[in-house]
Amino acid sequence: MTNVTASPDLEGLRTALPPDVQRAPEAYVLDGVTPALAVRPRSMSELAATLLAADQGGLAVAPQGGRTALTLGRPLARYDVALDTTALDQVIEYAPADLTITVEAGMTLAALQATLGAEGQYLPVDPAPGDQVTIGGLLATARSGAWRGHLPAARDLVLGATVAMPDGATVTSGGRVVKNVSGYDMHRMHTGALGGLGVIVAASFKLAPVPAERATLILDCGSLASAGATAQALWDRNLAARAITILDPEAAAAIGLRPSSSVLAEFAGDDVVVARSLSEAGAVARDHGSLAELIDDDPWTRLRRLASGETEATVVRAGVPASEVAALVGRASAMMGPAWGHIAAGAVWARPAADATALAALRAAATEAGGYLQLESAPRSLREGVDSFGEIDGQLMNALKTQFDPNNTLNPGKWAAEATS
Amino acid sequence: MSSDSPSPLVRDLQAALGASAVLFEPEDLLPYEYDASTERASPDAVVIPRTTEEVAAAARIASGHGVPVVPRGSGTGFAGGSVPVLGGVLVVLAGMNAIREIDVANRVAVVEPGVINLDLQNALAPHGLVYAPDPSSQRICTIGGNVGTNAGGPHTLAHGSTVNHILGLEVVLPGGRVTNLGARQLDAPGIDFRGLFVGSEGTLGIVTAVTVRLIRENESVRTMLAIFDTVDQASEAVSAVIRNRVVPMAMEMLDQETIRVVEPRVHAGYPLDAGAVLLIEVEGLVEAVEHDAQVVIDACAGAREVRTAESEAEREALWEGRKSAIGALGVTAPALYLLDGVIPRTRLPEVLNKVLALSADYGFKCANMFHAGDGNLHPTVLFDPEEEGATERVLELGGAIMRLCVDAGGSITGEHGIGTEKRDYMSWVFSEDDLEAMGRVRFAFDPTGQFNPCKILPTGHGCAQGHFAPIKQHLGAGSYV
Repeated sequence: MTNVTASPDLEGLRTALPPDVQRAPEAYVLDGVTPALAVRPRSMSELAATLLAADQGGLAVAPQGGRTALTLGRPLARYDVALDTTALDQVIEYAPADLTITVEAGMTLAALQATLGAEGQYLPVDPAPGDQVTIGGLLATARSGAWRGHLPAARDLVLGATVAMPDGATVTSGGRVVKNVSGYDMHRMHTGALGGLGVIVAASFKLAPVPAERATLILDCGSLASAGATAQALWDRNLAARAITILDPEAAAAIGLRPSSSVLAEFAGDDVVVARSLSEAGAVARDHGSLAELIDDDPWTRLRRLASGETEATVVRAGVPASEVAALVGRASAMMGPAWGHIAAGAVWARPAADATALAALRAAATEAGGYLQLESAPRSLREGVDSFGEIDGQLMNALKTQFDPNNTLNPGKWAAEATS
Repeated sequence: MSSDSPSPLVRDLQAALGASAVLFEPEDLLPYEYDASTERASPDAVVIPRTTEEVAAAARIASGHGVPVVPRGSGTGFAGGSVPVLGGVLVVLAGMNAIREIDVANRVAVVEPGVINLDLQNALAPHGLVYAPDPSSQRICTIGGNVGTNAGGPHTLAHGSTVNHILGLEVVLPGGRVTNLGARQLDAPGIDFRGLFVGSEGTLGIVTAVTVRLIRENESVRTMLAIFDTVDQASEAVSAVIRNRVVPMAMEMLDQETIRVVEPRVHAGYPLDAGAVLLIEVEGLVEAVEHDAQVVIDACAGAREVRTAESEAEREALWEGRKSAIGALGVTAPALYLLDGVIPRTRLPEVLNKVLALSADYGFKCANMFHAGDGNLHPTVLFDPEEEGATERVLELGGAIMRLCVDAGGSITGEHGIGTEKRDYMSWVFSEDDLEAMGRVRFAFDPTGQFNPCKILPTGHGCAQGHFAPIKQHLGAGSYV
């Protein structure tokens, strides 16, 4: 960027930091803006000190980990310092026999799953766009995927978190045990808060055993209406499903399947359970006149990537009643882009080639169905015209922001009411 | 305050809610002075609203008069959460007990806060649906109370606590503003006020409607009773089940003291000479239940015997022993002190032995019936409050047991909440900075500290300091509980 003026405050921060934690700012562009400074602290205390110095210097800080959700939320009003959490990547405590783990927030989900996999365990989450997300990002975005509704999400599995605050404090809530109601669950408050109330530096989770078997079935349904009915029937059977997803033809094609309105279902559990589930799912397919076929490779990874906004793509997520998922997939599908929906979560995802007016219409459709629509990712120009969140309680949000980040240091504008058009 | 001249507060409440919805005579207030804890205090007035608007009106009036507002469901809390320690208006939500909607296709229900947990379960059963949280007090506790404490129950092991099953909340905030937190769907946009509010024990607002997530009833369930000579063997079986990649719906343990009291009264079939029994339930597809039950039986290799309930009646009998345990214990002693602490499940034998030794040191009998799978202990101390100094010693023992849990890497409450009971232990698990941050949460919702004062946070963190000017006025300077 050309018009970065190094203020005395910025210089103060720059000189206070050891040179080897500073990174090239060009690698941390957000919405086309290059920060004046990029910092990759090596410890929680270094991160806390950086945040405090930035706060005192009146600088705007954007925390980031895997950089996979950069355009989630309203456009930043200011951006001075990129705070890279990825050096905080250590396991703090893993207790396999207790099915719990505590890790630093810059660890990737992939690294976490590798550690857990060695013990036959996993964190049962499948956020977009993939396991390259960091644990901090997983929580800050509260993103989930096809498993949501069948399995708990990160916000359900988080047992506690440690968060660096703009005033230099490092604050912990919850704990490391699987059941705990002591004090306010601030770790739930930070889950989905997009780093606006503090920077998550460590978190504890409840884990699950890896299912012994899993199998994926594609049911070619021919129409979205039929896919909707098939998905509902599958869900009603209460099989060992880990995902039941309605795909429009374009979404099916995008993940390497036949371009047809389909239901993609995953079953997981012990071999007899998976076998029984597959057999009943086959019967459901026959009842609905659709063609069921086992898939050997992994279309789910590709589906997660499809929800990525790493390019300039627009990605939306709507929440609607399960019975409305197929219809809303249809609405989104008509907007020239892949659309898909997870029935158990009532979640519809789409990458529409849409302008502000069309997005507003899609949001209205979700709202009329009793739900909501969030922009998971969109170019800045679009986010300036369409609010990322829709209706949220601005009063409560501002009250919390004032308490936790009074100088508006963290991601200014991402939540702020004044950024709303 | 006498009946001839109701206070201005009472008159305002009567004007807004109608005379029949407001209690203020001392004898009418009496039943509302306590819950299941040792705490006791009288409100200035009790209101029994029927609508959200009436709750909001009560909150506005209380705010105008500068008096506290304390919500109450059935008053089954063990931590003093619904005791109006600084007086004020006690909002009894038992009258708001309508199940507003059961949306079978979408597995969602909307209920009022006064709905009894079991009444909701019974209404759902014909649809093959279940609301997962099932506190042991489910016959009497309310959904609103469950939200307030983030209640657990035996099935928390598989399904998680109340917060995992709440989609949306309609709440009355301090001052009387009504707002909606969360949505009718999972993962609503915005900061998760829903997740923050659940478990906030009435300090952030009063819930007036709850949108809950339902699950389908499983096609098969199997309940087993494993009988052990020692608690250590039973604890090892719990670990072995988990080690073999099975997370049952419930794993409940009763120790020898509990068995000896419960069995003669409930006839659940627990052998009187057993050192411990484990109640294990697995659910799912028939095939899954077969598989998991075998894993459980193998894991209980150290058991004297593993029995399987062969009928629904047998299953209910096994559960009856667990669910009635606290009531049965209540008959054997003048008073009970039921504790709630959590430890990593692998530390069970060690901590339980210390709990028993500590109780013996204090000269009390201690019975244990608890959620073994979650490591959620419920040591229950039997005592006689008439005995000189007994209550003080029991409370001291309670503190010492909580200390054991904290030292083992655990928590001071798994499902009952902090209330007034454990406020002073908060600093054992949280730093000054942690508590200060929690005070900020409190302040964001309730700047005057009017809602359920002196709960959760220790003195100095949102109670009795700084934010309490109106209440201070009400009580007179310096008179804090």
